[in-house]
Amino acid sequence: MPVNQDIKGIIRHVAEIIIDELKLEDVTADTFNSDMDLVDELGIDSMDLATVALILQDEYDITIDEDDYPKLKTIRLISEYIEEKLATKN
Amino acid sequence: MKTVSSLLDKDWYERYRRISNLNIRSSIYDVTNRCNLRCKGCFFFSSGEHQAAVEEMDIKKWEEFIDREKERGVNLAILIGGEPTLCMERVEAFYKRLPTYCATNGLIKVPRDKFPDMIVGISLWGDSEDEKVLRGRDTFAVSSKNYEGDKYTYYLYTITPRQVGKIEPVIKRIADVGLKVHLQLLSNDEGVDGFSWQEGELKDLRFEMDEMLDHYPQTVISCKYYHEVITTGKMMGRSFGWSECPSVTESLDNRENRPRRLIHFVRWASDLKTVHRCCTSATRDCSTCKDGAAHMSWVMVNKREHLKSTKDLQNWIEVYEMFAKLYHFISW
Repeated sequence: MPVNQDIKGIIRHVAEIIIDELKLEDVTADTFNSDMDLVDELGIDSMDLATVALILQDEYDITIDEDDYPKLKTIRLISEYIEEKLATKN
Repeated sequence: MKTVSSLLDKDWYERYRRISNLNIRSSIYDVTNRCNLRCKGCFFFSSGEHQAAVEEMDIKKWEEFIDREKERGVNLAILIGGEPTLCMERVEAFYKRLPTYCATNGLIKVPRDKFPDMIVGISLWGDSEDEKVLRGRDTFAVSSKNYEGDKYTYYLYTITPRQVGKIEPVIKRIADVGLKVHLQLLSNDEGVDGFSWQEGELKDLRFEMDEMLDHYPQTVISCKYYHEVITTGKMMGRSFGWSECPSVTESLDNRENRPRRLIHFVRWASDLKTVHRCCTSATRDCSTCKDGAAHMSWVMVNKREHLKSTKDLQNWIEVYEMFAKLYHFISW
């Protein structure tokens, strides 16, 4: 599990995973706009999101319900979702 | 980093946003193993799929099954067969629970009092002469009377090699009865003489399909990029085939390259337990498969691949819109 579990750390880690998994070019975890709409702007679809969700589930040891995918529209929203899940778990 | 809005102007961006959150989750259902026609080249019978499972006859089992499918996240039921309209009670069970598309040969009319807005796709295999050769009768004469002017019905015109250069009269007949048409290509699974594609024919056909779209924009539901992909079998420099097809049943998909695919897609046999490999015949050579839905899905699941240029992304949008129109997620 990633060491840094404050919201900034989660945002950075989610950005790294998305960049890595979706092979995004010309962007780094530092330059990724965490409020960018992943569907409307980046063209991510539900298969991409499912791939990313599987990794996040493993990394943070949480469950991401498929019904929740539609609300996970930005890196910030995904990170807040993870933060909430971690808080519930603890 | 290329973003959607950096590639599109305002109008195209609005079109993109209209479809980008649809999340269509389809599956295909063999409603019955029986048909009131026996068409040469129908994959269902030529590959023995009509004998793959014993039909479930208990309507309650169908209803429970469909409820489970809905739970599984399916939001578009595509009914094929056999001929679904031979089992109207089963069609109704789907229609009451899910957005439903019913493929039919059009010989039996779906009663609109029971199914007011169900999308009906009528199969058509060419002009009267080819229909008689391949299907034993001119089905258009019957189906066009049954569905004339129906605003939730379109023809699914399977173009054969013998139709190249002769499409327009067919399109015109459809326009004249106030219906719409989508175009796809015969795969000739049974190797019927004179119905296999020869080199050069597909190039000519693509041009002809484009012309029909230009001349009959209110009748033809299609787009030119789809014509390109279906006639060349190529998309963004890649070739269609087993390692690329998105329409493989999820539980049977053991491909190591893990291609992009339709999430949770399953094609169910009529016993509601058996599953088929893909949306068409498992005996078909995937490298020559001409299945229209598989090709348009191939484009649709490869969205980010089309974020390379404005034209590529516009092409993707047009194909997605076409699919969404065919299944009435957006209006015609």
